[in-house]
Amino acid sequence: MSERTSNRIFDIVNITFVSLFVIFCLAPFAHTIAVSLSSNRAITSGEVTLWPVELNWDAYGKVFADHSMLQSLGFTVILTVATTLLCMLFTIAAAYPLTKSNLKGRKFFMYLIIITMFFSGGIIPEYLLIRDLHMINTVWALILPGLVSPFNLIILISFFKGIPQSLEESAEIDGSSHLNTLLRIVLPLSLPVMATLSLFYAVGRWNGFQDALMYVTNPEIYPLQLKLFQMVQNNMVTELTQMEGANRAALTPEALKAATVIFATVPILCVYPWLQKYFVSGVMLGAVKG
Amino acid sequence: MTGQTRRGVMKKAAGTVLSIMLGASLLAGCGSGDKEQSAGASGEAGGSKERVTLKVEVFDRGNSPSPHTITNNWLTQYVQKEFGDPNNIDVQYVPVQRSEETTKLNVLMASASDVPDIVFVYDSSVFFRYAQQGGLTDVGELLNQYGTNLKSYLGDDTLKFGQLEGKQFAIPGKRAITGRYASYIRQDWLDKLGMKAPTTTDELYETLKAFKEKDPGGLGDKNIPMGMALAPAQYETLIYSFIKPVKGDLTYSQRYELPLHEGFKDAMQFMNKLYNEGLMSKDFSLDEEKEQLGKDIQNGNVGFWSEDVDNLFYADGTLDNLTANVPGSKVTPIDAYSNPNEGGKHIKSRYGSNGMYIMIPKSSKRAAEAVKYLDWMSTGNNIINIYNGVEGENYEMKDGIPVLKDDATQEMKDRVYNGGDMAIISNGKAIGDQAKNEAAWIAGFPANNQEMLRKSIDLANTDTVGPIVFNGPIEAEAKYGTALNDKLKVIMVQSTMAKPDQFEAVYDREMQDFMNIGGSELKKELEAALQTLN
Amino acid sequence: MTKATTYLNETSGSKRRSSYIKRYWQLYALLSLPIIYFLIFRYGPMYGVQIAFKDFNLFQGINGSEWIGLDAFREVFAMNDFYITLRNTFMLNFLDLIVSFPAPIILAIMLYEIRSGWFKKFSQTILYIPHFISWVIIGGIVYQLFGTQSGMVNEVLRSLGFEAIPFLTDKSSWLITYLFTGVWQSAGWGTILYLAALTGVNKELFEAADVDGATRLKKIWHITLPSIKPTIITLLILNLGKMVSIGFDRPYIIGNTAVREYSDVLSTFVYRIGLEAGQYTLATVVGLFQAIVGLVFIVGSNYISKKVTGDGIL
Repeated sequence: MSERTSNRIFDIVNITFVSLFVIFCLAPFAHTIAVSLSSNRAITSGEVTLWPVELNWDAYGKVFADHSMLQSLGFTVILTVATTLLCMLFTIAAAYPLTKSNLKGRKFFMYLIIITMFFSGGIIPEYLLIRDLHMINTVWALILPGLVSPFNLIILISFFKGIPQSLEESAEIDGSSHLNTLLRIVLPLSLPVMATLSLFYAVGRWNGFQDALMYVTNPEIYPLQLKLFQMVQNNMVTELTQMEGANRAALTPEALKAATVIFATVPILCVYPWLQKYFVSGVMLGAVKG
Repeated sequence: MTGQTRRGVMKKAAGTVLSIMLGASLLAGCGSGDKEQSAGASGEAGGSKERVTLKVEVFDRGNSPSPHTITNNWLTQYVQKEFGDPNNIDVQYVPVQRSEETTKLNVLMASASDVPDIVFVYDSSVFFRYAQQGGLTDVGELLNQYGTNLKSYLGDDTLKFGQLEGKQFAIPGKRAITGRYASYIRQDWLDKLGMKAPTTTDELYETLKAFKEKDPGGLGDKNIPMGMALAPAQYETLIYSFIKPVKGDLTYSQRYELPLHEGFKDAMQFMNKLYNEGLMSKDFSLDEEKEQLGKDIQNGNVGFWSEDVDNLFYADGTLDNLTANVPGSKVTPIDAYSNPNEGGKHIKSRYGSNGMYIMIPKSSKRAAEAVKYLDWMSTGNNIINIYNGVEGENYEMKDGIPVLKDDATQEMKDRVYNGGDMAIISNGKAIGDQAKNEAAWIAGFPANNQEMLRKSIDLANTDTVGPIVFNGPIEAEAKYGTALNDKLKVIMVQSTMAKPDQFEAVYDREMQDFMNIGGSELKKELEAALQTLN
Repeated sequence: MTKATTYLNETSGSKRRSSYIKRYWQLYALLSLPIIYFLIFRYGPMYGVQIAFKDFNLFQGINGSEWIGLDAFREVFAMNDFYITLRNTFMLNFLDLIVSFPAPIILAIMLYEIRSGWFKKFSQTILYIPHFISWVIIGGIVYQLFGTQSGMVNEVLRSLGFEAIPFLTDKSSWLITYLFTGVWQSAGWGTILYLAALTGVNKELFEAADVDGATRLKKIWHITLPSIKPTIITLLILNLGKMVSIGFDRPYIIGNTAVREYSDVLSTFVYRIGLEAGQYTLATVVGLFQAIVGLVFIVGSNYISKKVTGDGIL
């Protein structure tokens, strides 16, 4: 078998496999879109799979007519951008010094941070802290408690360590300060991982609502996912709501739920393609050569 | 280094750092303080006495129609106007997500300063825990002083639910409708087979077998003679038709106490038989939200099933969809289950006469205002208005029953979108006696379904057994309740899905487990408590 | 910041110190911001772990509640459910480590090997969609697909003349369903980090390998994989640290009563005893247990990794 044919076979197998996986991943999303565009009767009768049945746009009409939805979307976008920027700032500030193996106290700080991956005070002390800092019902309660993820920090440290020492050393010989080296050399060489971690933080914030459940009672600063959560939970007919008897609230129509899911998911899905331009191979190589 | 001192230092440090880092302007801009202040200021002019704020919990289900919000809507304004302003009180609502109520309430209770003046739960064990840990105000005196109307509205029977060792630690809401479950059969299937509606459990079994063998719906693989789900409306109806009440027409009050009743094993055996003969939904164990059951019913695949009494009858709901999907289908409410251990009566469960437990935390400084608020709610037409809106626009009174007007605009209807969650003292439209409440409830349903709902309610009220009320909490309930509740489901699923010849072994094993993880302690305590009742 | 300087005071002489500080003050200044964050927001509430040793009363607060020593630990360690859920947590995490951990690595390499630029970008964007769909919704879809009676997969199987497979109600089939949904949900998302690492691969190595006539698989094995080795090791160590902790949603939603014997894990156990039943003390005990085991695991695996590969996270 010639090298060419073996190459071709590899490509075909590879592309087929990836395509199959793509279809699997697309299907539930397509299903949700189909539900959002179908009639309630067709949905509750289980007729909807991948294509809308009795097509209509009512659900989207309702979502877009709901002022609080749009307001929440705007708020969530701003919140996510602000959170991501602050998180990245703090994570970089922690990661860079901790890559220096001759930094005194490095191990101590590493343990200090790692311990927080496992030990936490629990929701009541955390709530009391936020209250004592006067952050209940403010956006800060949604930004500050999760400012640095130890997980992301460790990943960033591991990537920073991968940058050839020679580059930084030569900069230092030229009299560059640490801060200067970080800004001029380390960060530009780390764009792919920076993009990745920004995405992690952004998606984490976008999808998070547990903190809002605890710290926010003002509907004006409800994140979008909290509104979605309410809608999904509202459809739970579990034992929790059994005792409500005749007081049980009417269910949210499935189509409206699905339309809200799409409404709350599409904006964050658009972030990745936009970040892809930072995933260009050979960034490092060019820098080393140059 | 103690946690306390360290926390103090850190708080200070945090304050400094934060104000430097974030800038005061941002903090101010994002806070929610502005609104409250202006609301407070506008009220100031009202009276000479100092104006106070009363904080009231409200369930947030995320279903506020635009432009209403959960904290500012027609009903909150109604309360402010009718109750707040005349009494020089600002009523402020604190939203709590429905599904997170207990978690959030625990945290609020622990914080003391943030907790609303009026909170509530449905779960009696949460109420007892709060009361025992000394976190609640004894409202007995306050009720005598400010709540005479409320007391007569609720009645002594209902108030009893909120007492612990002679003290009134909670004000229980009043339940308007106590009927819970009804069963239904496909009349067109019966007609096709020339069969009569079954009136006993044995006849039901024969009917189900006929449904399976003769397949009157022509469904083949999809044929489900009896629809089942792992949800109370389905399995409780079945189980209650086998168990023996512990005292008169009373059973133990918690669901996970069902296995402690005589006859529970017979119920499991019956389920096992139905399952193994292919007479009931195969995937019932997956269907805790009864979503699949709903689909199967609507597609006309189910011959017989039980449901919450109201469930089928909402506009564009299960029944309407079934009629649309299967032309010629006809549903009849029936009382098929008969209890062999209770003289063949159609035993079924009913709710206790109480709704939620309304509590005033001990840390509240507005206990008197809180009772006044609840008392106000029980007076005049307030309950009716909170549920229905404005007389003449949303509803008309006919024979003392509020009947919703068909021509009310959507905007008018949206006024009372969370009426049920605001009218905390009344679970369902409790406007008078049971018959009146039922009539008021039925009047809210689509006209074409009202008659069948009426029949369902009548069936749901036949031969009911209610929950026993002891004088104090059962400790084992608080301790083992959730674990036992989980185990109950395991018992049902495992013994139903066991092969018939293994039923005994599986059932015994799971019951043994149930007893080991707290069941026997619970049993002992319940039986002792039963002795103290006369 | 104060912490850092005290530490220095103790460890270095005054002369060397001044030149050291001159050289490194910027790094300490940088580090001080996140450290202050950790002290306030992570260590600030940490006094809450006391709850494990107290008979916690909501209204007395943590300081006002009575000490009970190790009573709560004894109670937890006497519970049969604790051992069952611990075993299941281990089992599910271990299976995930074998199946779900390598999946994104393989997928990332496959994506890296795709030459068509648009298809690469397109498929990457699609593959990470499942990460954004909440488990509640995934749960609904899984039931629709894999139900025994009305699941679509079984309908197809039946129409082909096969027996229906109880994907969700039979214990061993359920394990496969559980793993499959995990891979499906997280593999695409997991590739992102590896793809970021792969941008650092030196293309010249491939050119040299081409000259030597190496096959594609050989190149993957000798060039691509080694270049993401540090990332793999970092993630592996972090994963090992999580062996006794497990998310709540996936086992709870994909699990069901029929397979409770396998699907009941520590997080659902804690939920049941702690949050629902209000027994904070017991929940804190389990949390403390998980934390200590997790810390031991991560430090241990870091140590082994350093010995074997020379790489570690600490």
